[in-house]
Amino acid sequence: MVWAAFRSEWTKLRRPSLLVSTIAGLAAAASLFVVLLFAQAHARGGSPSLATLARPNGLVQGVDRVAVLLGIVAFGIAAAQIAGEYGLGTLRQLLVLQSRRLVLLAGKLLGIVSFLVLALVVAAVAAMVVALVAAHARHVPTAAWFTSTGIGDLVRELGDLTLAVVGFSVLGFAVGLFLRSSVSAVIVGFAWLLPIEAVIIRIVPGTLGWLPGSALQIVAEGGTAGFGYGKAIAVATAYAAVAVVATAVAFTRRDVTA
Amino acid sequence: MDAVSTHGLTKRFGSRIVVDDLALTIPAGSVCGFVGPNGAGKTTTIRMLLGLVRPSAGTGTVLGGDLADPPSYLGRVGALIEAPAFYPPLSGRDNLRALARLGQISSAVIDPALERVGLLGRAGDRYGAYSLGMKQRLGIAAALLAGPELLILDEPSNGLDPAGIVEMRGLIRSLAGDGMTVFVSSHLIAEIEQICDHVVVIRSGRLVHQGPVATLRASRRADVAVRPEHASDTGPLLGVLEHAGLPARLDVDTIVVEAGAAAVNRLAMEHGIVLVHLAEQRRSLEDAFFDLTGAHAGDGHELAEVG
Repeated sequence: MVWAAFRSEWTKLRRPSLLVSTIAGLAAAASLFVVLLFAQAHARGGSPSLATLARPNGLVQGVDRVAVLLGIVAFGIAAAQIAGEYGLGTLRQLLVLQSRRLVLLAGKLLGIVSFLVLALVVAAVAAMVVALVAAHARHVPTAAWFTSTGIGDLVRELGDLTLAVVGFSVLGFAVGLFLRSSVSAVIVGFAWLLPIEAVIIRIVPGTLGWLPGSALQIVAEGGTAGFGYGKAIAVATAYAAVAVVATAVAFTRRDVTA
Repeated sequence: MDAVSTHGLTKRFGSRIVVDDLALTIPAGSVCGFVGPNGAGKTTTIRMLLGLVRPSAGTGTVLGGDLADPPSYLGRVGALIEAPAFYPPLSGRDNLRALARLGQISSAVIDPALERVGLLGRAGDRYGAYSLGMKQRLGIAAALLAGPELLILDEPSNGLDPAGIVEMRGLIRSLAGDGMTVFVSSHLIAEIEQICDHVVVIRSGRLVHQGPVATLRASRRADVAVRPEHASDTGPLLGVLEHAGLPARLDVDTIVVEAGAAAVNRLAMEHGIVLVHLAEQRRSLEDAFFDLTGAHAGDGHELAEVG
């Protein structure tokens, strides 16, 4: 039954206007970041230098740095998709055909998360192609990128990025369901993830890694010197679990009056 | 057997009681109208039957399934709740496909449902480009996907122009001809009168009448319109009728009396008044509705839009 709800959700998500614009948007953002990264790289020193970009992990440098942007886009799309069901009034129609609310919720969440992961993978591939072109333009050797070490770094980085996007999607889904308004959900989410978390971390530096946005960012980066990868995964998983449970409880208990 | 039966069905939103101790009975196979002023609790009642809103109190069955367990019966129910709601960027057919997949219904039923409501030719168009009438018809097509035994339509004529209303009425009548039970809420009494054989009337969340439409209409007294031969007799005749305890009022040059024609004629003759016009005016279902609910045209906007 979850599979039926998943397929139903994909019937809605696969429409060209949404699928193409999401993939194109993410790919454009990631590619732009890569272009700027290579354009700004210095021949000697700096961060990153051209020599750094030539290392085995050079291919994932740009993707790594665009993680937060991709996560925020994923958050916004997930929030808008579920809140839109309330705004359009389509939720009541769906619940008549699938009255087991947890089944519907699970199918929708899996559908939206898989949609965003697919968009991320396509965007990442596009960014890599752009990175190859940019490397050629800046005369950066790319042989190290395709060694076993380079490919291992790439797979690990993409895995971390995917986990982060899943986390941002789940949080966006929860905020969208609670607020039941696409616009409110996107505004609240962006406000929290961008300025509010930044201000809190600036005032209380010890909160870095303990807040949802920063935890997911650290997951995407594969951990930092000050906050380990395992700890970031644990914090992000805890936030996602709380969001899923709270969403499930609210969705099954709340009257549908929209 | 009853398609729907509720006992003490109640819904409170905070301290406000929207549906109050409702004992609803919808006979299987009937076309049952559900009428009441705006804010009477019609939509909330329908939402409770569909498992969208949890009752605060009360029990009931829908198609033999427990009201507290909507999955036990919703697979056999089709519904159009308030305005039709679909994804604007998707075509009519893709919207139905999404619903069919969710309900694990064969996609083979989509085109017949679209054909049934006269939308097959426009099935590939974006839902957002549909007229209101087409949107309503797509809503009914969606309700028909599961081949329901009970079809619940909440204000299906809302927003339609007169031609659309007539079209919708014909569609509902043809659906009822297929043997399914149809429960249709409306604030258009004439519509209920024309398509329903059973009627439920509520006001302020409480049941005020339910039963066959014919019974409701017959239970209303007929008025008698009388006009004396000489206009100068109008005042005296009005006095005679009032003296006899018959409520009467003057409508231009005609007296309207709540009484039987024979009694009025006898009184006029006894007082030497010759009548040139004596006609019984059968009261409409609309009159009956206003009598039952105490509502009058235009009352609706005074009530909260919660129904």
